[in-house]
Amino acid sequence: MAVSEALVVRRRLVEVERPWNIDVYLNSGGYAAAREVVTAATPEDTLEIVKESGLRGRGGAGFPTGMKWSFVPKDVFPKYLVINHDEGEPGTFKDREMFELDPHQVLEGMIIAAFAVGASKAFIYCRGEFALGSRRMDQAIRSAYDKGYLGEGIFGSSFDFDVVLHRGAGAYICGEESALLDSLEGYRGQPRLKPPFPAVKGLYGQPTVVNNTETLSTLPHIFNHGVEWFRRWGTEKSPGVKVFSVSGHVNKPGNYEVPLGTSLSDVLELAGGMLNGNEFKAVIPGGISAPLLTTTDIAMDFETLQGAGTMLGSGAIVFMDHTTCMVRNALIAAEFYQHESCGKCTPCREGTWWQVKVLERIEHGEGRQEDLDLLLDMCERMDGRCFCPLGDTAAWAVRSNLQLFREDFQAHVDEGRCIYESGHRTLVGTRAGGVGAGNAGVTPQPSEGIDSDSEAGS
Amino acid sequence: MADISLNGTTEVLVGGHYQAAKSIVAKYPNSRSAVLPLLFLVQGIEGHVTDQGMRDVATLLGLTPAEVLASGSFYTMLKKKPTGEYLISVCRNVSCAHRGAYKVVNALSERLEIEPGAMTSDGKFELEVAECLATCDGAPSMQINYEDFYKVTPESAVELVDRIERGEDVTSERGETVKTQREVSYETAVAGARLPGTAGDIEGRTVGGESPREDMKVGDRPKLRDDEESHGG
Repeated sequence: MAVSEALVVRRRLVEVERPWNIDVYLNSGGYAAAREVVTAATPEDTLEIVKESGLRGRGGAGFPTGMKWSFVPKDVFPKYLVINHDEGEPGTFKDREMFELDPHQVLEGMIIAAFAVGASKAFIYCRGEFALGSRRMDQAIRSAYDKGYLGEGIFGSSFDFDVVLHRGAGAYICGEESALLDSLEGYRGQPRLKPPFPAVKGLYGQPTVVNNTETLSTLPHIFNHGVEWFRRWGTEKSPGVKVFSVSGHVNKPGNYEVPLGTSLSDVLELAGGMLNGNEFKAVIPGGISAPLLTTTDIAMDFETLQGAGTMLGSGAIVFMDHTTCMVRNALIAAEFYQHESCGKCTPCREGTWWQVKVLERIEHGEGRQEDLDLLLDMCERMDGRCFCPLGDTAAWAVRSNLQLFREDFQAHVDEGRCIYESGHRTLVGTRAGGVGAGNAGVTPQPSEGIDSDSEAGS
Repeated sequence: MADISLNGTTEVLVGGHYQAAKSIVAKYPNSRSAVLPLLFLVQGIEGHVTDQGMRDVATLLGLTPAEVLASGSFYTMLKKKPTGEYLISVCRNVSCAHRGAYKVVNALSERLEIEPGAMTSDGKFELEVAECLATCDGAPSMQINYEDFYKVTPESAVELVDRIERGEDVTSERGETVKTQREVSYETAVAGARLPGTAGDIEGRTVGGESPREDMKVGDRPKLRDDEESHGG
């Protein structure tokens, strides 16, 4: 039987034209849930429904949303709601899609969340590179104010709710919620020591709930259809549907919404199978931070992946075929973490730098036998010793490539070259501020055989 | 609602730009939150974040120039040196790298005669390799001044450069016309601000008002509908 999507959050994106228009949104039942909640429910009831639904945060950590809200003290004002739309986990492109195409769904979820926790003001932290999403959201906010869905006494109730759009300026670490808050306050985006958690002491030192775009987009559906309906999907511990961003060596990359607990092989089938029928080699199941899997026979839910030593993360699935060099794959990850390390703590700042150094030399055929264990030792010294999860996951990413595909690394050392492509170059040292910076006028010499990506090789 | 604290004269953020700065600061309960948007504003006027621009931001927010630099230097989109009119950012992360991104970078590098991280001598183009742009379904993908291009090939990427050089309008995957680096920086700066001529310009919107009624706590404000005049926002 052919696998099909369970469209909830993405339904409007797939079935309706111009879903970002407020009238289109209203015609498809939009704002009914928020109106009902704000005019007929109490904050306590609203919180209770989200708790019962078992909804877990869709940003990466999978923390139960209702529980997060319940940590907010009742008697401290003002409180803030902050939307984490700083989607940057490599492989993830779901939030961007639903924010660009269906911004009112995000706003409706925000109204419900704000009402439940008693926040009268929200900030949308929109990733700086998302120009179109920002335009659409700016317009959506304006339309919602015009209709009286935002502002003073929304939907004719006594609840006031203002929304402010804020743009990031290019830093992956700002997806970490406390770093996001520092960035929103106008500082360098570096994580804060926890506790206190943002729910108690967040933006401007006030109680703050930080929720992800997909989490908020899911809320209106829970309120429209009920907790029982939502729990029909997924597992006991991971209820509901989830949008997975599928990319890499597949025939039809894209976002696919399926019940949590769906088999990874079914997700692969939805994405059209491996590119050109190539042989499956490995898969990143939850963004580049999640350790690799070498099987597709696994249920995609929070607890199963955790049990398998990896994580569901943001739901970004990257498939790799047999032409993929895993040393290069590890180097791509390491370069990313080196670039995005905020520099606050030593194990991450220094560790990511050394990971790149050692991986670079292995990839270029200059690796020494002892480098393999040296890398593992570095990972050991980073994991669990960094200030925030960025450094820990940098260790996981490199370690899982090395542990699962040690033969790839060994072959590089033995042969003194990359076994997948001869003499290719990576982009090491050529990013801004690197060797090439300021060398205007100097033409590099890429020429033949430099870069045989799998498409060229096949 | 925060306001600017003018402790001196400004040279870059003057006239209409000064008004824009005021609208941006008014979005936030605390003016310090406006540091990054104001630096985008400077970049929109000057082409990059200049020393004088940073001094202006410090003056308007009651900060030291060092504090402004400390925040601004953390972020890749805020350029501390002159930057090309068209910034081409090619994603180098996992999905794009495994599907040909490096070939695109090499082709652009050859066409523009610059290494990634540099600007062409005429100041027209800047090439950079970027981290994941959240368009992995279109891998390999790239942005020109933050508008998206999907499934680019070495040939199609070079053709985009050729078209911009000939002065043609270039339209992104999502139908957006590519703007100049200054235009898009200015737009980023004023996103969500109540500024005439922008999407944030909303009649009667209570943007930035920490509380429209100062005698009431946020989140706990019974309505006094016969007292609209005092709402101020």
